[in-house]
Amino acid sequence: MQPLFLFRSAEFYSDQFVNGLTTGSIYALIALGYTMVYGVLQLINFAHGEVFMLGAFAGYGVLMGMGGDDLSGGAVALAIVVALIAAAIASAAVATGLERIAYRPLRRAPRLAPLISAIGASIFLSHLVDDYFLNGEQRFYPTIFPTGKVELGPVSVSYLQLFLIGASLAMMALLYWLVQRTRHGRAIRAVAESRDNAALMGIDVDRAIVLTFVLGAAMAGFAGVLYGLFFSAIRGSMGFIPGVKAFTAAVLGGIGSIPGAVIGGYFLGLTESFGRELLNEIPFVNLPNEWKDVVAFALLVLVLIFRPTGIFRQKEGKRA
Amino acid sequence: MHDLAVGARARLALSWTRVRRTAWNQVALPWGRLRRSTWGRLPPWVRPFLWFVLSLGVLVVPAFDDTWMRMFFLVALYATLGMGLNVVVGLAGLLDLGYVAFFATGAYTVGILGSPESPAIDVQLAWWLILPLAIGVGAIVGVLLGLPVLPLRGDYLAIVTLGFGEIIRILLLNMTDKTNGSSGLFNMPRPSVEYLHDLGLTNRHVVDDVRAFYILIVVAAFVVWFVTARLRDSRVGRAWEAIREDEDVAEGMGINTTKYKLMAFSLGASIGALGGAIYAPFIDTIVPSTFSLLVSINVLALVIIGGMGSTQGVVAGALILIGVPELLQFQETKDFLESFGWLRTVLNAPIDLVNRVTHLGIENLPPSEEWGDRLASYRFIVFGALLVLVMVLRPSGLFPSRRRQLEFEAPPEAERPQSEGIT
Repeated sequence: MQPLFLFRSAEFYSDQFVNGLTTGSIYALIALGYTMVYGVLQLINFAHGEVFMLGAFAGYGVLMGMGGDDLSGGAVALAIVVALIAAAIASAAVATGLERIAYRPLRRAPRLAPLISAIGASIFLSHLVDDYFLNGEQRFYPTIFPTGKVELGPVSVSYLQLFLIGASLAMMALLYWLVQRTRHGRAIRAVAESRDNAALMGIDVDRAIVLTFVLGAAMAGFAGVLYGLFFSAIRGSMGFIPGVKAFTAAVLGGIGSIPGAVIGGYFLGLTESFGRELLNEIPFVNLPNEWKDVVAFALLVLVLIFRPTGIFRQKEGKRA
Repeated sequence: MHDLAVGARARLALSWTRVRRTAWNQVALPWGRLRRSTWGRLPPWVRPFLWFVLSLGVLVVPAFDDTWMRMFFLVALYATLGMGLNVVVGLAGLLDLGYVAFFATGAYTVGILGSPESPAIDVQLAWWLILPLAIGVGAIVGVLLGLPVLPLRGDYLAIVTLGFGEIIRILLLNMTDKTNGSSGLFNMPRPSVEYLHDLGLTNRHVVDDVRAFYILIVVAAFVVWFVTARLRDSRVGRAWEAIREDEDVAEGMGINTTKYKLMAFSLGASIGALGGAIYAPFIDTIVPSTFSLLVSINVLALVIIGGMGSTQGVVAGALILIGVPELLQFQETKDFLESFGWLRTVLNAPIDLVNRVTHLGIENLPPSEEWGDRLASYRFIVFGALLVLVMVLRPSGLFPSRRRQLEFEAPPEAERPQSEGIT
């Protein structure tokens, strides 16, 4: 008989909290790409999960190329930084290609056409990696990150989790600054408000849209490497579930809102890590691990029914 | 002179159309509409010929061997599912990415009520008895899933229904006391054709091989086509199309949107369940992993690629998206590719040359006997590329229904959904 949830130890709570923050960071980074592309094009970029996956593979390639498991000391830090940058660049390149091939020709097409095109691109990329390059196998990230923990009272955080959460927050802050404070960010926001008016103001709409894809993809590629470092196993189909959940996070925070996507990501991560445990406290309920996905979707349905514009968005609109 | 002739001909054609339209409206059969659309634009002498070829096609198809018949069965099954989803997506404009939920409902209703292995209930019902039950259960599930998503629109609806599809699969996997979990249910009941046997129409007692299943699914497809085509031309169909065009205006015109949206969901769901009920005895073993998101994507993609709202389009979409990937697994395809062995010799010579000069170590092409197997394992890559390609080349589908084609001319910016910007 396990102890009742409410009376679990403080360690239990803090562990779940840190785990929630870790997965939440990854969801939030991916959600940024969804929210920005949706804000500009009103398109669910279904292939965004695959952009994340390719980022993870690019980072894997760099790490293995620089020595893999043999790396030690300062070389580890260098390799991880290079891997993160390479993944961001590779993902951005893939997203640019996708935009050019699969989305741009359909910008004036009926609404469902780009959605189907995005789904096709998603299937193509994940199976290209799985069936063509890996023959259904997995690859494993080298375990080079220094192990060890920071203990703070009941809270214990591994170095890797600390790095993951810190790096994610830094990237989100960078993105927020880029979008809110620079010329290019202003161009993106203008195009999101109205494409035609932005064009009349002399903004290169195509360039702003590509830039949106590039920024979102860079975040996803970054998240891919962090995911690889944390979960180790990577494969072609790994992008689907995080992709759907990140979209959920974006909707939770109110789609089109960058802080919303971040808060939504963390909210979803925390709800997942606590949700199943909480439900299992109800007598006769014994939910296996897969049910954390159900929790995410149930949450999405509830939010969409009661707060269709997201939890945090105040503006009244009929978006959903 | 020339203009005059053209004018006269146009007038004549117009009056003839009027006469014919009245006549056909009085008869009010689904092909009345067909005549007025793509069908009506064909030269008159082609039509009976085409009917002949089409019906002959359905009859002659059973002459192929079993692997081909399997492909045709799957094409016809997915075409049926496509017609069902078309009611939800094409007519009522509700984007549903979780259609597999209803397909699974039908299959598992057959499995639970008819399989001797089912752990939940000790009865084994006959397939024909389960069929109406499965359709009914499908309709109920459709309403149950439809109720909470009623206020949602567009892409949000898509993502929630996608979630429902996944939840159903996880439920099937975890309710082991009802569904046997991942080991699945087998020994499905076979549809009995004893009556037809007594009439001397067939020499079998149950539907048990690919050919018989093909005929069963074709009959089901025709029934579904008839029902959906009649509904589309009825008051109900007009209400659906009004909701699709603008829900608020439709409501303002006095259409009970709740009622009609639920109707669309439940009709689509019961057609999905019908497909599942036929699929279960065909495949004989049903496991939760069969009912993955890929089924929903397949069905939605073939509806949209075919051109939403048209039956020919659904069939064409099924042939392309189901037929082509199946075709890649055929022995014939492998044999065909094998005959290109000379291509390997031709291409490997320059590769060898480059390798000798540059030491790049480029891989040689594998022997042509392996090409077929390779291609078969790459069929999902081909599928994904096909989706992108067809959409980029023909964004409104291969055979857009005439009415939709007119709507699909790019809407002006003002009418497009506007975002509230990025904040």
